[in-house]
Amino acid sequence: MQLTRADKWLIGILIVAAVGGIALNIAVSYVARPQKAEIYQEGHLVKVINLRPGYHEEVRLGGVVHFNVVVADNGRIRMAEADCPDQVCVHTGWISQPPQQIVCLPYRVVIRLEPAANADIDDITR
Amino acid sequence: MGTRRLVMLGLFIAIAGVLHAVEGWLPVPLPVPGAKLGLANVVSLLVISLYGWRDALTVAVLRVLLGTLLGGAFLGPAFAMGMSGAVTSVLGMACVYHYRRSTFSLVGISLIGAVIHNVAQISMAAMLVGSVGLFWYLPYLLLFALPTGVGTGLVARFFLARLAKITC
Repeated sequence: MQLTRADKWLIGILIVAAVGGIALNIAVSYVARPQKAEIYQEGHLVKVINLRPGYHEEVRLGGVVHFNVVVADNGRIRMAEADCPDQVCVHTGWISQPPQQIVCLPYRVVIRLEPAANADIDDITR
Repeated sequence: MGTRRLVMLGLFIAIAGVLHAVEGWLPVPLPVPGAKLGLANVVSLLVISLYGWRDALTVAVLRVLLGTLLGGAFLGPAFAMGMSGAVTSVLGMACVYHYRRSTFSLVGISLIGAVIHNVAQISMAAMLVGSVGLFWYLPYLLLFALPTGVGTGLVARFFLARLAKITC
């Protein structure tokens, strides 16, 4: 196949940009440690869950139809169930480190991970 | 508008609409949500090089309407993403084809179209869900866009070479 010089440059730049972006993505996900999950619905923050070892919580968003079931368990979080047509969010599976995220485009739900303040010790209540 | 051109554009819209709908059914064996082959891009490239950017834009808009109607995603989020990607990539590819035809071959133009398509779709999705974090998907989509962009460019090139023999 005949490619012009500009074609080859374009392919090279794209490979570098894509691989660099993926490397950055992986690097960022290795550095961060204790996490909290922020659940956004239609752009609004509706729930924050601290992801700690041994901690379990289930959150149901939406109504009888158009629902998402989010499950946090043992430092990970996933979309356990949703009645959206594409099921992309459910198939994303467990996530535990940023910048991993779960996106349900049909219902505009995003689960983002953010580094949490040190959660190694339990909170003190007064 | 001559009859031949009318028929050809109608055919292109039909082909592109079906490609758009059918490629939504194809499973992509990659953990990247939203990764697609971009088969309908072949038609956009062909119409740009045969009839110019105005007809290409018409074909792209009607293709998304038709494709999402067939695929059951009409006016949903997939529609907004498909439309934004199709319109911006056709305009981008037409610009490059018009001004830089000697610099880039059809393969390079197809790649540029694929990249614009991905960036536009991610921007649209980020706007829909209100989260900038979606741009983390972009490198993965760009990596996937490389083979598919080159592939669609080659298909368009072969098709044009054959079409010249049939005379259009």
